[in-house]
Amino acid sequence: MSLAALARRLGAGELSPREAVAGCLARIEARDPLLNSFISVRADEALAEAEALERTPERGPLWGVPVAVKDVVDVAGAPTTAGSKILAGNVAVRDADAVVALRAAGAIVLGKLNTHEFAFGATTTSPHFGPARNPWDPERICGGSSGGSGAATAADLVPGTLGTDTAGSIRIPACFCGVTGLRPSIGRVSNRGVVPVAWTFDTVGPIARSAEDCALLLDALAPAAAATAALGGGIRGLRVGVVSALFGEGVDGDVAAAARAALAELEALGAVLEPVEVPLLAEAGTIQQAMMLVEATAAHLPWLRTRLADYGPDVRARLLAGLFLPATTYVTGRRARRLYLAGLGELFGRVDLLAAPAMPVTPPRIGEETVSLDGREVPYRLSLIPFNSPWSLGGLPVASVPCGLVRGLPVGLALAGRPFEEATVLRAAHAFQRVTDWHERRPQAAAAG
Amino acid sequence: MDAREPSVEVLRELAAQQGVAPNEADLEAVLRFLRVLLPQLAELEGLVPRETEP
Repeated sequence: MSLAALARRLGAGELSPREAVAGCLARIEARDPLLNSFISVRADEALAEAEALERTPERGPLWGVPVAVKDVVDVAGAPTTAGSKILAGNVAVRDADAVVALRAAGAIVLGKLNTHEFAFGATTTSPHFGPARNPWDPERICGGSSGGSGAATAADLVPGTLGTDTAGSIRIPACFCGVTGLRPSIGRVSNRGVVPVAWTFDTVGPIARSAEDCALLLDALAPAAAATAALGGGIRGLRVGVVSALFGEGVDGDVAAAARAALAELEALGAVLEPVEVPLLAEAGTIQQAMMLVEATAAHLPWLRTRLADYGPDVRARLLAGLFLPATTYVTGRRARRLYLAGLGELFGRVDLLAAPAMPVTPPRIGEETVSLDGREVPYRLSLIPFNSPWSLGGLPVASVPCGLVRGLPVGLALAGRPFEEATVLRAAHAFQRVTDWHERRPQAAAAG
Repeated sequence: MDAREPSVEVLRELAAQQGVAPNEADLEAVLRFLRVLLPQLAELEGLVPRETEP
């Protein structure tokens, strides 16, 4: 059941918060030993909170709705490990602002979800907590870094989750798990109480089954977004810039075809498509790396000095790399970003949304470090940068919307809007989902147990 | 930005200056990472007009 449908049933009294929580806990118990999407579950606390909620007269829009949050987001009294050994035993004293907002809307936090170590990677294969497994094929990754959020949503363990996204970490697992994810604009949702990756680019946002679900969660996190109220507006006349360069040689042909088919659906709904070139698109990944690596290293410097051996090898290498980039690299990154933003601003004078495949490939097998593109073996980490960094660097709201299955695995369409126009992004995604059912398709793991 | 690959010894010295003591395997992994990134960063410097402010 979608989050929106569950919220309606709870509101109508057809189901109690305790029943909703108990149902999720039963599914977690049955399915998560395979998927490993949760790092910790607050079973007793969530049931007690559900009972307490039933006794209060206030009923917010998420009254009684069970949610779970990536384990970089603080929940008072629960451990925040960030998927690391370094933060083992780190119990949060207070809720992150995002959790405060969800609770104020009536949501109940069931637990903390698996993540790439310190949210600094795109596979969610923590050496400390084990890999989160993709419900569509447990031998494959969920993507990351919010891999647990994608897996738990896809397997119907919980109807809505929070992830975080610095350079793709909401969109990648949403795409790979066949669910809907929204990276909000930078600054739309408070990051207080969230373990940082790189302050300039960090965002907190929803992963859920549908655009409607994401709108409900976003409105709880940031009411000014007013996303739910805008969903019904339709998209006739909406100008969609098709980012031609991302439909070329860097993307699997079948994945690109699925994204093109989704664009045809948008056109049939009245959107006006136009091929566009994004200035400095090819450099966007390098610009983001110049800033992100240095910020991440700065955030971790005390632990790099004292706990270096406690990082997993991949995260350790990337954090160490930031030590060797001079200050001038960071400034060059900021100057190049300014140029990039100017180009994007001009482009958004002509179009309302930008569209591209959310990811260039289907999820690789756990442990595979390369992906095959037109017969070439390409490092997975490098393959995804051109499809994710451009929108992070721009500070844009961007959704990954399920748009097909390729060889039995989900693929997605990315829709990016002007800063703080999440409502437009979600309106377009909702319009697409009203005439397609890709977001309703469930993996076998969601039927087990 | 110098696009040339630094040596393990240079990396070890730079890390030590910042109070970090990576081992040989760590530095080899960093080198593999920088081998891709440094040429891209060097190219980026050339793309930014002189008058562009941060």
